[in-house]
Formats: sequence, C-alpha cells, structure tokens
Amino acid sequence: MTQQPRTWHANEAELRALADGVAGPALGASVESHLMRCGACRARMNDLVDGVLLDSVWSAIRETVEAPRPSVFERLLRKFGVSAESGRLLVAVPAMRGAWLIGATAALLFAGGAALFASGFGLALFLLVAPLVPVMGVAAAYGGDADPSHELVVTTPYSAGRLLLLRTAAVLATSLPVAALVGLALPGPAWLAVAWLIPGLAFVSLSLAAAPFVGATVSSGAVAATWSAIAIAVSKIGDPMDLAGPAVQVGSLVLCAAAVTTILTHFRLFDLPRGQT
Amino acid sequence: MSSVILTGLGKRYGRAPALTGVDLRLSSGVTGLLGPNGAGKTTLLRILATALAADEGQVRVFGQNPADTAGRLAIRRRLGYLPQESGFPRGFTAFGFVDYMAILKEWSDRAARHAEVRRVVGLADLTAVATKRVHALSGGQRRRVLLAQALIGRPDLLVLDEPTTGLDPQQRARLRDILSTAGETATLVISTHQTEDVAALCERVIVLDQGRVHFDGSVEGLISSAAGRVWLATDRHPEAQHAWRIGTGRWRNVGDAPADVEVVDPTLEDAYLLLVGDRARETEKEVVA
Ligand SMILES: Nc1ncnc2c1ncn2[C@@H]1O[C@H](COP(=O)(O)OP(=O)(O)O)[C@@H](O)[C@H]1O
Ligand SMILES: [Mg+2]
Ligand SMILES: [Zn+2]
Repeated sequence: MTQQPRTWHANEAELRALADGVAGPALGASVESHLMRCGACRARMNDLVDGVLLDSVWSAIRETVEAPRPSVFERLLRKFGVSAESGRLLVAVPAMRGAWLIGATAALLFAGGAALFASGFGLALFLLVAPLVPVMGVAAAYGGDADPSHELVVTTPYSAGRLLLLRTAAVLATSLPVAALVGLALPGPAWLAVAWLIPGLAFVSLSLAAAPFVGATVSSGAVAATWSAIAIAVSKIGDPMDLAGPAVQVGSLVLCAAAVTTILTHFRLFDLPRGQT
Repeated sequence: MSSVILTGLGKRYGRAPALTGVDLRLSSGVTGLLGPNGAGKTTLLRILATALAADEGQVRVFGQNPADTAGRLAIRRRLGYLPQESGFPRGFTAFGFVDYMAILKEWSDRAARHAEVRRVVGLADLTAVATKRVHALSGGQRRRVLLAQALIGRPDLLVLDEPTTGLDPQQRARLRDILSTAGETATLVISTHQTEDVAALCERVIVLDQGRVHFDGSVEGLISSAAGRVWLATDRHPEAQHAWRIGTGRWRNVGDAPADVEVVDPTLEDAYLLLVGDRARETEKEVVA
C-alpha cells in the first residue's frame, strides 16, 4: 500500500493516538511521515506528551523511516539465518550482488551445455570452469579491487581476515550448489557432478593465501591461468576425465591443506596497512 | 601527554620520497596541516590512520605501535578517519553506508548502533537525504557521508583529509562548529588547502612541503612571521612574490617590502604564501649553485 502525501496537518486526536501507541498502521504511517516533514505538528506533538516518551516515539518513527530497507539479498540471507549485521557486510562487495551471481550461473550453464552437446571437449570445459567460478567469486569479494571503500574498511577494528572468510563462505554457499546442479545434468557418472569440488576448494584457498601479498585480482588470475593451462594440456594429450582423476584430487587435497595452513598462520596479514609485510 | 608521537618518520613510493625526517607530537585540540599539492599531507594522514605503513622512524599513537597487531587494533578502536578519496559500495543509502561502517567499528547492538548512526548523520546535516542512495548524492553530500562515519563513537583521534572540499560556506561553518567541539577532548588533525579553515579552527598549524615540516607552531606565530612583508600600493610591485588588486582598486603586495610603503597586517594566507615561496626560491638557488 502506498501512502499519499498528506496535504493537511494532523489533528489533535490523531497525534494523541500516535503518542499513546493506539493509532492503526495506516493512520500511524501517514501521521508519522507527516511529522518527519512538519515542524509545526512536531511541536504540537511535543506539547501532548512528555519529553522522555516523545524521544522514544520519535526515535521509533525515525527508525522505521530512515533505517535502510534490506535489499532482496539481505532478506534472503536473513531467511538462511544470517544476522542483519553479517548481511550488511556481505552485500557491500560485488560477489553478493545479482550481477555477479547471474554471471557465474551463466558461465556454468554455458560449460554444462557444451558438455551436453560436445561430450569430450565439453566435459573438459565444464571441469575447467566449475572449480574456477568460486575463485572468481573471491576476487569479487576481496579488498581494494572489489571494495571501493577498502581504504576505510581496513582502518576499522573489524578483522579483515574474518570479513574475507565470511564473504568467501557466502560465495561458496551460493556458487557450489549451482555448479553441482549443472554437473548433475551432465551425461556420465553422478560423481562427476562433484569431481571439481576439491580442486575448487583448493583454488579458492590458494587465491586467499596469496591475496595479502599480491592482491586478490592477481592471485585469483594466476590460479585461473595455471589451472586453465593444465586442463587444456591434459585434455589435449590424454582423456578429459583425467581432470577429475585421482592425481588431480590428491594434488588438490595437498594444495588445499597447505593453503589453509598458510591462511591460518598468517591471518593477521589481512589487517596490515599497505606497504607493510 | 601527547597522543601522537612521530620520530624520524620517512615514507617513499618506489624511490621517490614522500616524507622525510618528520618529527611531531600532537595532543588534544585541532591541528591544521597546510602544504602545496604533493607535499605529503595525505601520506602523513594515512600513516596516522593505519592505512599505510611507514618505512622509517617511529609512530606511536596513544602509546601504541601501529606496526604490531595488538597496537594497530587498539589504535583503530579509537580512530575516526576521513580519507581524501573513497568510493562507496553500490546500492547503499547514506544511512546504510554509515550503518555498515558502524558494524565494522564493532557496534553490534542494533538499537544502540542505529541511534549512533542517526546522531552522526544529523551532525553531518544529512538527515533529509539519509534514505537516498549515496551514488545519487552531490559531491558535497557524499563528503559529509564520509565525515559522518568518521564521527561514529566520538573517536579520540580524528584524522580528516581535506574535510572542507565541496562544502558551501554554511556547511563549512557548521563543520567548524562540529570540529571545534570535538577538538575539546579529542586529537584532531585536518589537512586543507584553505588557510581560512586553519585560521578559523586550529590552535596549531604545521606546514609541510616536499615531505618535510617547515613550520610547526601557533597560527599567530605563522602570521607574525609575515609581519612587515605585506603592503598596499597603487601598483603591482616588481619585487613582490604575489600581488593582487583588491576591491578598493589598490594592490596588495606580498614579499620583501621596500622602504616607505604602507605596511598592513598580514593574514595567515600571506604568511603561508611567503613561507612556501621563500622555500621555492631557496631550492632554486641550491639548484643553480
Ligand atoms: N600511491 C602512490 N604511489 C606513488 N606515489 C604517490 C602515491 N601517493 C602519493 N604519491 C606521491 O607522494 C607525494 C606526496 O603525495 P600526497 O601525500 O598525496 O601529498 P598531498 O596530500 O600533500 O597532496 C606526491 O609526490 C605524490 O605524487
Ligand atoms: Mg592530499
Ligand atoms: Zn503539520
């Protein structure tokens, strides 16, 4: 329901109903928004109620009028049990906005489609792209490249490492299910749908571990380039299925463990000002 | 007790020095940082705000060393920072952005946080546009959104890099009011190109040029350094460093006054121009020699 702007002033009965908390929602909202704009009615309201009560009414009014309406994403996050505060921290970076998620889904659907129609080459393409999607998500969630207010954020007491892990978790929570769904639709054994999972986690942690040193754009770019080169070479000289084979899985597991250890032991690096290592 | 102590501070970008041998002590009150473009003001303020690490020398803020983790965190808990430039996350409203910063500043209780956000949004005169998207605001309003977030939680150290850019005279006057109130208890450092801001606000002024401190003292002290070097005449004087025609049709000359001229009281701007101008001429002589 939309509120027509009132062209008249609030009468005494309406003000008293609002002050006593007995105004209905429609009347309340209409008088409240009028009070936001009209000093004269605010002054009359002031005479009706004592100062303390007025303060609390007034701040409740301002709370509903001024506090940001959560975005679609923030409301969705609330549904999944994410606190309003964490939600706000998440939507500040591109990784948690519609455009990025649509892009990631499109890339996966494209690779999945290729796998359906051109099985050998297409499968290789899917196995190449799927683990890189969360890596790109990390690049869209980290520091100066992704956050235009990074200079300010880094000077707050909030741990930048914690912020990054929070955002990474959100990237994984949104991109992994999509990749798994696309994978399930592919021909071949069902485990193919998740064969890229360990490589994907390894690449994410590798990008994170290197990010404090070279920045997330460079680190995730380097990871993506290296994996692409390996994947292309493997599918040229051998079987694309090797990209999901035991060598890749074990290698990824080792990489993942090493990268996670580095992140945990160097956690404070994320909070460093520029120019200090 | 000084809240900020800098000793032998140095910073270079690549091989080019941006700050050299800066020794400063700051305590509560408003300190103005003046200097031409590229003097190193922003570099100095970024180091104070723990956004940039120094290469040389010692930095102590509230006795803490920003180079170690615990010290840096302790400083950040007492800091408000207005950077010279900052972007905003897409889609955030003015209120939403300040709220976001308050969350990062550890205001986890929602009701208390929103009350604080409303307070600083009001101080920065943004209540009427609080629900507008930051990207739809004017340059001056965006500047004030950044100011609002710096004021969250009444910080003990306020570092403001060119806070008056983009503000009209009324907003400037209001900002002066806010800052002078804050300066009664907190340590405030502001950089500006506007000598009037410094004259109006600051007990203390520091002039930085080419990465070095060239003046550090009271505003009156800097003004009196120009005594006898400003005069009125019917023409531009050939020896004057700066001269301009004032409203009455006479010329205000700034430089080394010849004998028998009508010397007038210098302003802070005159003194600042002379200090920087004298420095430039000295450098020229050194280069020639
Ligand atoms: N990020 C940077 N990289 C390289 N040089 C820089 C950087 N920031 C500043 N400088 C250089 O350092 C010097 C001081 O700059 P700055 O501190 O911004 O001065 P101010 O704020 O007084 O204008 C200038 O010569 C500037 O070109
Ligand atoms: Mg600057
Ligand atoms: Zn009215």
